[in-house]
Amino acid sequence: MTLTLSTESASSERATLYLHGRLDAQTFGELDLAMLDLLPRIAEGGTLVLDLSALEYISSAGLRSIAKIRKSMRAHGGHTLLLNPQPQVRKVFEIVKAVPVNEVFTSARELDAYLDNIQRRIMDGDDQEP
Amino acid sequence: MVWRSIASRLSLGVLAGSALVLAVACGALFQRVRQQTLQQSHSEAAALANEAGNRIEQRLARVADTTQTLAAVVAPRPAEAEVLLRRALARNEDLSGLAAVFTPDDTPSLASPFLSRQDDGTLVQRDMRKDPTRYWETNWFLAGLACTQGCWQRHFYSKSRKRELVDYAVAITRDGHPIGLINADVSLDWLNGILKALAKPAGAYAFVLDDSGAYLAHDDPAMVGQRGAPSLLQALAQHEASHVRLTVAPHPQAEGQPVWIYFTPIEGTRWRFGLAMPENSIYVGVRQAFAYTMALGLLALVALAMITLAVVRRTLAPLGTLASHAEQVARGALAFELPPARRPDEVGRLTQAFDHMRTELALHIAELTRNAREQQRLASELDIAQQIQTALLPGQHYLDAHCESFELHALLRPARAVGGDLYSYFMLDERRFCVMVGDVSDKGIPAALFMARTITLAKALAPRAGSPRQLLSMLNRELCRNNESCMFVSLWCGMLDTYTGELVMASAGHEPPALCDAEGARLLELETGAALGLDEEAGYPSHTLRLQPGQTLLMYTDGITEATDTRQDMFGTQRMLDCLARLPTRTASGLADGLLAEVDRFAADAGQADDITVLALSWHHALDDRNAPMLDLTIRASISDVFDTLERCDASLRAQGVATDTREDIRLVLEELMVNMVQHGQAHAAGDSISLHMRLGGDAVLVELHHDGQPFDPLQAPLPELPGDLADRDEIGGLGIHLVRAMANELIYSHDEQGNHLQLRFLHPARTEHDHDAHPEH
Repeated sequence: MTLTLSTESASSERATLYLHGRLDAQTFGELDLAMLDLLPRIAEGGTLVLDLSALEYISSAGLRSIAKIRKSMRAHGGHTLLLNPQPQVRKVFEIVKAVPVNEVFTSARELDAYLDNIQRRIMDGDDQEP
Repeated sequence: MVWRSIASRLSLGVLAGSALVLAVACGALFQRVRQQTLQQSHSEAAALANEAGNRIEQRLARVADTTQTLAAVVAPRPAEAEVLLRRALARNEDLSGLAAVFTPDDTPSLASPFLSRQDDGTLVQRDMRKDPTRYWETNWFLAGLACTQGCWQRHFYSKSRKRELVDYAVAITRDGHPIGLINADVSLDWLNGILKALAKPAGAYAFVLDDSGAYLAHDDPAMVGQRGAPSLLQALAQHEASHVRLTVAPHPQAEGQPVWIYFTPIEGTRWRFGLAMPENSIYVGVRQAFAYTMALGLLALVALAMITLAVVRRTLAPLGTLASHAEQVARGALAFELPPARRPDEVGRLTQAFDHMRTELALHIAELTRNAREQQRLASELDIAQQIQTALLPGQHYLDAHCESFELHALLRPARAVGGDLYSYFMLDERRFCVMVGDVSDKGIPAALFMARTITLAKALAPRAGSPRQLLSMLNRELCRNNESCMFVSLWCGMLDTYTGELVMASAGHEPPALCDAEGARLLELETGAALGLDEEAGYPSHTLRLQPGQTLLMYTDGITEATDTRQDMFGTQRMLDCLARLPTRTASGLADGLLAEVDRFAADAGQADDITVLALSWHHALDDRNAPMLDLTIRASISDVFDTLERCDASLRAQGVATDTREDIRLVLEELMVNMVQHGQAHAAGDSISLHMRLGGDAVLVELHHDGQPFDPLQAPLPELPGDLADRDEIGGLGIHLVRAMANELIYSHDEQGNHLQLRFLHPARTEHDHDAHPEH
């Protein structure tokens, strides 16, 4: 099985990328290509959610792609949040300390609560955010 | 007790020696004096005997004179005979009786008067002619007629007068013709009186013997009339000398002691006067004098001995003290008071020397104690060193635990407490078994230390070296470093593929191993490199041998081949091969034990000169199918081939029922490593093939990866910085290796001429406790 990608963009503020299959040295190129297409569509300070529910496997090549995505998002003041990583992926993340724990969510509900929280903070005190 | 004292011995010696001298001198003197005493006694006794003889002669002469005168007077006047006889009898007291008897033919008318004196002194007369017996026919008469000059007759005992009498007869002649005779009876009482009156020495006795050998008189009246003892008579007949010595006295009074007898003949008769003197009585005075002298002398000697004892005791008193102190010294006590050296004589010098000796001894003992303690410390250290060295060596016997495909038996016997021989074996990884045998130059502690260094280094380097030639090279470089003492070690190293029996080996100047099988034993002459520790640049050629089932490879040190017997013959290689071929057993332990026993027999009396090591490696059989690799393939180094391989691995593992998470771990690790190899291969245009062996072990999945590219040791890669967010990292690499190291339960890297070798081990999850990190809850 290889990698299958699908995107869902409710708004330019928030996009969700669904990853299916394996993200490894053979398939990371596909993700990189897809991101070239997707990233410009996300607004400044927007949020990219990587839904990993269907990602079975990740290797260092995949980690590098995800790191690139996070770097690009950060460069644009945005956030990259990870949703529901599966055991193998979670294990790899933990070994290399890939992502801060508060940016990994086990369910969509949790993620939504987090995003709402951010939304409120922006509304309440816009200036506090960098 | 007495003999232990010099003083006692000396005084007893003096006493005994002087006593001996005294005894000899006294003895000689005694003999001399005894001779003189004997001479004196002879002359005195002779004088005494002469005197007695003279007195007897005088008395007898008077009797003879009287009788002869009577015969002359009676001859012309026979008729007056009686008156004449009576007158004569009255004048001479010695006469007991007188008779004038005539032959009846010539004087038929004449009476033959006989007058005899009675005890009361009265004279009795009778006419013998009227006697019933006719006297003229008796012997005494007829014999008397012949005695014109007078002669003494035999004595006889007169029953009528109850006394011993002796007759003196003188013939009465007329015209030259005997007509009768005068017969005088002489009493012998006076004779005894004379004997008694003699001034005889004590114990002596006198006697008178007549011509027939009978006692006329004797100091012992009981002897009178008896015949003398035969020994006496015989001596008398043989010896004309005046004295004779009889060894046994003839008289019972003398109690069988030797006796001297002095004789004097009595003139006018054929009697002999004898004086018997017991020899004892002659010498008794001399004996007493000498006994007295001896007693005095002995007393003086005892006094001398006592004085000697006292003087020597006093002189040698310090010696006794020294002797008891010497006993103390023997017990180890050196502190004591010595007697003062009074005089510079031998004892004084000895005391001084003793004092000096004590001081020196104390110093010496202190030194010895120090040395002994040092020795003891060294010995105990050596003991510990031996234990440590023994601990460096693996066990004697090794049997492949999984499938018993090979067996190893090792024997090491140092010549001293510690030695320079070494052997070691260990599983290099899941598949390869490393074994080595070595011999350090020299013996003893330096060799043991060098051996420890070698064995430790070898163990440490072996996993990284991967092949014997590499291991020997690395070891050589390490041992050459700071090897000031120029010690070296010959080492044989082999790595056995425990699946196939393929043995890769290299030798650093070590004895060639011997290969034993059913056909016999032969040496494997290998090209070897220099011994380790000498030449930093030395190279070590590699050799490969595939062991067949039943074959045993025997490694040894020169302690075997150079064992010498009492004739300085070496055991040698040929003897070893013969022995190995001859041994009935083919097992590793049998061959090793048998060879060692043979060497021991050979060098039995010469003793072990060098450390001895024997190591036998027996190959039983190749691995069976169960343990055959799941995957064994070689691919081109490209991403697509790598991913094909990953799929195949995953499929195989799934087919073997390996759990998903383990499969994913394996996949991740293999992907990371192989992608790395591909990328490195591309970067350096060197490697273009990767081989992979995968096998299911008892409790783990074992994977070997070989890549003929540039050396790259993933274990040496630095730990990547992990700031907690990948987006914060500046570098992009390093994560894959980190993952590999985290995921694989065991990772061994080696590099050799064939490239990089990686051995990986993943615990089979079914048999190990789960790692909770690997199973986050859903």
